[in-house]
Amino acid sequence: MAKPPVRKPKKKICIFCKDKDLEIDYKDTVLLRKYISDRGKIRARRVTGNCSQHQRDVAVAVKNSREVALLPYTSTAR
Amino acid sequence: MRHYEVMVILDPQLDERTVAPSLDNLLGVVKQQSGSIEKVEVWGRRRLSYEINKHVEGIYAVVDVICEPATIAELDRQLSLNETVLRIKVMRRDPGTTVRRGAA
Repeated sequence: MAKPPVRKPKKKICIFCKDKDLEIDYKDTVLLRKYISDRGKIRARRVTGNCSQHQRDVAVAVKNSREVALLPYTSTAR
Repeated sequence: MRHYEVMVILDPQLDERTVAPSLDNLLGVVKQQSGSIEKVEVWGRRRLSYEINKHVEGIYAVVDVICEPATIAELDRQLSLNETVLRIKVMRRDPGTTVRRGAA
């Protein structure tokens, strides 16, 4: 019987914890784009690998950014 | 006195050259009520991620202001009444409150 291969989850380090100078700003769309899917949804923490504090900051920044139309609420890709 | 960052989206039909003077005009209250304008950054015309009042573009400007909370409330009110302003967003930028706490 073929056993499903055991996947070792790779421990990701939160990039904001690693780089203290990296600021999460709602105006920085280039950075925030990395944390939304192509449909405009915020990526989950298990995908981004952020720690809970920074994931929350990212989420708040994305939401603020949406309010000023820098990021989409929804984008109709497909 | 507190440090605020105000993002303003103006009507794209406005002439690019008249943006700076009209912004000055809009920010008149701050000076009247003894606040100070630290920085005015005009980003220029940008595509909006979604339509606002049927506009697909907007003229973005970011203004750093130091003033009393009452002044910023008045500024917010005046801007929201102005028809050339599509959207405004006021954020606190105090050094004491970090960006992440202040952003909420």
